[in-house]
Amino acid sequence: MVINKVVIQNFKGFKDKFILNLNDGLNIIVGDNEAGKSTILEAINLALTGLYNGRYLHNELSQYLFNEPLVKEYIGSLATAKPQHPPSILIELHISGGGEISFMEGDGNSEKIAGCGLSLKIEFNEDFRGAYETLIKGGDVTTIPIEYYHVVWKTFARESITARSIPLKSAFIDSSSIRHQNGSDIYIGKIIKELLSPDELVSVSQSHRKMKEHFMADEAIEAINKKIGDASKISAKEVRISVELSSKNAWESSLTTYLDDIPFHFIGRGEQSIVKTNLALAHNKAQEANIILIEEPENHLSHTKLNQLIKTVKDSCTNKQIIVTTHSSFVANKLGLGDLILLNNKKTIKLNELSAGTKSFFEKIAGYDTLRLMLCTKAILVEGDSDELVVQKAYQVQNNGKLPIEDCIEVISVGVSFLRFLEIADKLKISVCVVTDNDGNVAALEHKYESYLGINKKGNINICYDKVVDEGNLKIGKKDFNYNTLEPKLLKENGLDVLNKILGVNYAQVDDLHIYMRNNKTDCALQVFETKEAINYPQYILDCIK
Amino acid sequence: MNKLIIASAGSGKTRFVVNDAIDKASQGISVLITTFTEACEQEIRDRIVEKVGCIPEKIFVQTWFSFLISHGVKPYQGSLFAFDVRGLFLVNGQSALYSKESDISKHYFTDRKYIYSDKLAKLTVKCNQASDGKVFDRISRCFKQIYVDEIQDLAGYDLEVLDCLFKSNADVLLVGDPRQATYATHNSRKNKKYVKSEIVNFFEDSKLDIETDITSLTINHRCFGSICNLSNKLYPALPQATSGNNKVTGHDGIFALPVEHVSEYLSRFIPTQLRDSVKTPVSDDFEVLNFGKSKGLTLDRVVIYPSAPMVGWLKNNDAELTQAARAKLYVALTRARHSVAIVLKASDLKKVNGIEVYSPK
Repeated sequence: MVINKVVIQNFKGFKDKFILNLNDGLNIIVGDNEAGKSTILEAINLALTGLYNGRYLHNELSQYLFNEPLVKEYIGSLATAKPQHPPSILIELHISGGGEISFMEGDGNSEKIAGCGLSLKIEFNEDFRGAYETLIKGGDVTTIPIEYYHVVWKTFARESITARSIPLKSAFIDSSSIRHQNGSDIYIGKIIKELLSPDELVSVSQSHRKMKEHFMADEAIEAINKKIGDASKISAKEVRISVELSSKNAWESSLTTYLDDIPFHFIGRGEQSIVKTNLALAHNKAQEANIILIEEPENHLSHTKLNQLIKTVKDSCTNKQIIVTTHSSFVANKLGLGDLILLNNKKTIKLNELSAGTKSFFEKIAGYDTLRLMLCTKAILVEGDSDELVVQKAYQVQNNGKLPIEDCIEVISVGVSFLRFLEIADKLKISVCVVTDNDGNVAALEHKYESYLGINKKGNINICYDKVVDEGNLKIGKKDFNYNTLEPKLLKENGLDVLNKILGVNYAQVDDLHIYMRNNKTDCALQVFETKEAINYPQYILDCIK
Repeated sequence: MNKLIIASAGSGKTRFVVNDAIDKASQGISVLITTFTEACEQEIRDRIVEKVGCIPEKIFVQTWFSFLISHGVKPYQGSLFAFDVRGLFLVNGQSALYSKESDISKHYFTDRKYIYSDKLAKLTVKCNQASDGKVFDRISRCFKQIYVDEIQDLAGYDLEVLDCLFKSNADVLLVGDPRQATYATHNSRKNKKYVKSEIVNFFEDSKLDIETDITSLTINHRCFGSICNLSNKLYPALPQATSGNNKVTGHDGIFALPVEHVSEYLSRFIPTQLRDSVKTPVSDDFEVLNFGKSKGLTLDRVVIYPSAPMVGWLKNNDAELTQAARAKLYVALTRARHSVAIVLKASDLKKVNGIEVYSPK
């Protein structure tokens, strides 16, 4: 059983109908802050459990669940000639797969198409029409009349459901933990509860009850009660102390999970995340497929622990659906870019058409900043640190001292993996400039980038390189000196004197400066970056920052 | 495999359904038991609980109307109408006679969006057509086995629904007794000839793969011998039931009860009073049911307040008696385990041949 599609409307950041198609196994949702990643997880969890922030939604209804611009629009409209109907929130999950889900089939969904799933609506309760009419006639409505709202939770067959009757179970693992009054974590309680069979659950609650009864029967307590009874003439009725036995799930809130004698909420946050995730992944009731929602696993975890966690998550995704949000390129690369869903401006783009080679490249060399590329508006790809510094400097000079990142332009060192990054940029239609050395062979370079040059030129991808091949007689050992990298090109543009001054050296010969710059690439680049002298840049650098 | 079991009152139809359902459910098969009246639905629930302590997760018990609303109409109403079905509006006769069929909300619903009971099956069939057969496809995946009890109460479009159920992948077991057709679900013009006790013909006529069994349940486990024999006489053409109840209590069988002894009799035996309608005068101090409402129930002792045509039949078994009245009398007679007392005027007492007249001791 898996969720194929999530529809969210008017819930928190999502105003217009937002549709997210999910993969069967792993889904990695990436996006900028405020893009709505967490809201998606919250929405899925809410529709499956009826819980919001660990509490029953019925008791937690508030205006802040609604999309804010929409609320303003609604309130604004009340004073006009065309007042709007009170807004409603919709979360819809389309479900498929084996197990007993036929009872959820029907066309009771927002698209009115046959399918299987459930919807949760927070909407105006028509029973309150009269009260609402009075309210708006009185004017002065400044908030949503949430007291006239109700939660309607139904299958696509239009039958009401409860969390109990939904065969799909979710575990929400986030770093912000919500607790019962006694400090036990709600989610861990829920996960453990779901691990148990109905018989086991019954015996737990019976043991708990016995424990309380035993407490009451204890001699000391009886003596105390006798004393209270004798002393108090508060009421004609008997007065005594007792443990509360009334609530049906009392044990959940009074039992706490321990790890090596330490209460769960006293162990480190990082370990908490790992334990929660592992418990959720281990949960394997035969018929209850389950969905694991993991929010930013990189929080609180060291690199090694993160690796462990990712391995567990990956190993489990054959029989579970996992939805992860992350800001970490490492997590995304490691879990597999093919399962990545990019959330941008409330729209989604999937990366599942990436070539197998590229996917496995980033999986193995997970340190690359793939997410920086995916989340920026424009990127300049360079080979190494020195190129990065020079490009930044050139940009700064052209733009009144602003760094590219201040204009949301990322300058990313990609080593020799230009083509891998370009594949991503091409799929995601991200504006990208590649700044590359021609290394003395323009034909080879043009062959390498042939998919992006000439007739294959793509609107969003520019390859910037120097078409001129420079030559000279300098040799390094037995090899010819490469005159066609950034440093010799800078020297060519500015001349010996200017560069001597910038680099704080005093070479008489051009060749000696070439050798110095070749051997101190990063230092030289840093000095270029920090200098106040005016510098001329090679044309291909200027091309990339236009 | 679809099957129809026809058997008389007290022969254990419901028991058969309940046992079979419990057996299937224990094998992990999800089953639906549906029946016409709420009393029968409760009876079925009670019997399941009596047997296994609770209603197993895999057994779903619903009345026919509630089944049609939740599984027939609501899942695939989308292409026909958008509003929520609020509930059922019981109608006798035909609802919204002058509305256009194409006007869904007027033809099928009250203003407050309660669906007319007589058109519920019709709308189910319509939803199925509009969704290209998805309604019954879904039902057959929700329930592998479907039981319909009190099949004699279904008529008109209900039969179309049965037809669709037969054609689906679910196995359907129908049980019923044409003798007990005291009312039809509605008075639709469609399939008029099958209404009431002629319902059996529907299955014989249709080309469906349905096996009809009229012989396996012929023992009336409920009623004492003479009660069983009198009820047999109402339907001489149908297989005759033999009584399986040999328990003697000291007051057993059929009695003619003089009007003047009714109150003494009620206090002495505490029977349930069965009457034709609310208009029939009875004692308010003892339990009372209309004939139709008593269907499906097992009672120890009853007192029957017969209608005039029923008295006519008791006097002369060849006398004319309408199908409905005949069925009601049959139902009333076959409720009791031990004794049936029929309230009669002094002038009729001597004319009911072979029935012992009750006299207080």
